[in-house]
Amino acid sequence: MCRFLALLLFVSTSAAAADIHELLKEADSYRLTTDAMRVETEVKVFKTGNLDKTRLYNVYVKPGRRSVVVMRSSAERGQKLLMLGDDFWLVLPSSQRPLRITPMQKLLGDASTGDIASLTWAEDYDGKVEGEKTIDGIPCLRLDITGQRKGVSYPRIVLFLAKSDRHPVYAELYVASDKLAKEAAFEMGTMDGRKVVTMMKLTDRLQRERVTEVHYLSRVPKALPDEYYNPAFLIRSDIEQ
Amino acid sequence: MRLGAGLFVFLLLLARPALCEEEAKSLDLAYKTRAIGESHAVRGDSPFAAGIPLTPFGADRGRVEEEVRGRAGPVSLLLTGTYATQERAASTGRLVANELYTDFGSGENHFTLGKKILSGDVGYGFRPIDVLQREVRLQVLPPVLVGVPHVAWERFTADEAWSAFWTNPGEGRRSDPKRDGSFALRYYRRAEIADLHGIARASDRFGLEAGGAFSSVPHESVELHGSFLQMRRGERTAPLAETAPTQQLLNPGLALQTQDLDHPRKALGGFTFTRESGWSFIGELWWDGTAPTADQWRQLGAEARRRSALAALPGIPSAAVAGSLAASSTMFGVPSISRRSALAHLGWTDPGGNGWSANLDYLRTLEDGGYNVTAQITWEADRLRLDAGVRRFGGRSDSAYRLLPERSILFAGIALAF
Repeated sequence: MCRFLALLLFVSTSAAAADIHELLKEADSYRLTTDAMRVETEVKVFKTGNLDKTRLYNVYVKPGRRSVVVMRSSAERGQKLLMLGDDFWLVLPSSQRPLRITPMQKLLGDASTGDIASLTWAEDYDGKVEGEKTIDGIPCLRLDITGQRKGVSYPRIVLFLAKSDRHPVYAELYVASDKLAKEAAFEMGTMDGRKVVTMMKLTDRLQRERVTEVHYLSRVPKALPDEYYNPAFLIRSDIEQ
Repeated sequence: MRLGAGLFVFLLLLARPALCEEEAKSLDLAYKTRAIGESHAVRGDSPFAAGIPLTPFGADRGRVEEEVRGRAGPVSLLLTGTYATQERAASTGRLVANELYTDFGSGENHFTLGKKILSGDVGYGFRPIDVLQREVRLQVLPPVLVGVPHVAWERFTADEAWSAFWTNPGEGRRSDPKRDGSFALRYYRRAEIADLHGIARASDRFGLEAGGAFSSVPHESVELHGSFLQMRRGERTAPLAETAPTQQLLNPGLALQTQDLDHPRKALGGFTFTRESGWSFIGELWWDGTAPTADQWRQLGAEARRRSALAALPGIPSAAVAGSLAASSTMFGVPSISRRSALAHLGWTDPGGNGWSANLDYLRTLEDGGYNVTAQITWEADRLRLDAGVRRFGGRSDSAYRLLPERSILFAGIALAF
């Protein structure tokens, strides 16, 4: 009997784990439409309701937690950030060399960098469904997920997915000290005939008057060769072509 | 020189088919304008005082830089136009192609042709294996780097890179080691626990230089790095011998000498520690076997005092004394001022993203007890950047930084990107 109960518990736990992974994969599909792609992203930072800063990025994402962020704004032209799993490199235009940085240094850069370079939850997080809640009239599943790797920007996320089609609706993003750092609201739209997240609005809870809008301007399937994700390749201009 | 230029053009023609394969892109340029002002305070009790009016020491200065960066089709470019003005000197204007190159290739093989910045190494205050770019470190609001003309063949895999460079093609030995012709081989490997770098460079001046470096992140807040270079030959700028005759002391053309060094070494070790609160700390220790020794700085100071004393003697023109003092003070322009140095860098970045950051650098020359301390504050908005700070030199009486004919520099800069 005990053996049977243990087996039942194991099966149900595994099923729950599989469920959460599938849920996160479904949610990811609204931000990452293909395995490898280039996402053109515009970030607008507002302070006390006024536009403070606009930044433009090209993000090249590839499976295996690989992404290259090419900064396109005049003020940041020449900067590139490479993320390979939990490792990060930065190239500054003043000194054309790949500089190995710590996850903490990545967080100290423009606060939006970590938010735009990571487009998947399924690869980085695990957790469980903890009930349901209606957000802005949309019945949602409430997921409490925690980062499985040291390089994630937010070690804990409380994520609300629409019950109907699992699209992300709202999220609470927590920093290492388990303080609520930001609230994310996801705006859905249609791109190439597909329902996708077109904008993520981040309301800063530590800096009360700061709001960041991450607009996904385009998503183009593009698989850069593996060598483009070599840190030594970052100083080449081929990557921007 | 002619042969090198001819070869360069020949290689460019060879590369044309590859370039044509690249997708034609429209002009994609970004512009930046920057104005910088520096106020330099002379050290009144400097033994070089009589020669200071003939040097840039103590002269207030300013410059305006216009920068264009981006791509024109397959060509990447970085152009700067600079208008500079300085007390006691004529204003100058110049237009420089800091970078003008094309990167092309496919699969694992890639090529570069043109002038491109080739910085390397892992350190903050000192970079032993930066043997191609030879970037001068720890300058206040430094100008944009000027690239090195070269041809490169690079081979990449996901974790490894081999690069072969022919820099300054056709050139032999020039006045500046960075402009010497050379062949170099660079290696990079992303290992499980660290980035590994290796380099070997062959040139007429230094023979073979070979070294390696690593950078590792063992903890989310900590980065460790180290670098080492072994040279076949080296050069050191040094004062005259203690027994130098008066005639030589007063000859500006012979005010300093260049010593040849056999198998000098350079090495650096350091770490970076970053906190979530926005504070960071870099600690570094280094050795540069090509830098002047503490005894040589003492000797330079003693010679400056001897030269100054000569001015009181009948028949010695004061202009000759001033000229030789000014010429000998160029020794302060050596790439490394001390063989053993330690650097502490304290940085703060506003984690709230309000654009504020501040840095405090304390560089200690361990052999002679000198110091160079710099405090800088920066504010960045959408397109605007403001910098301001102060640097102060000091230390024991015969240390290099205490002998320097300047006491401090106040600096400020404004940059606008559009």
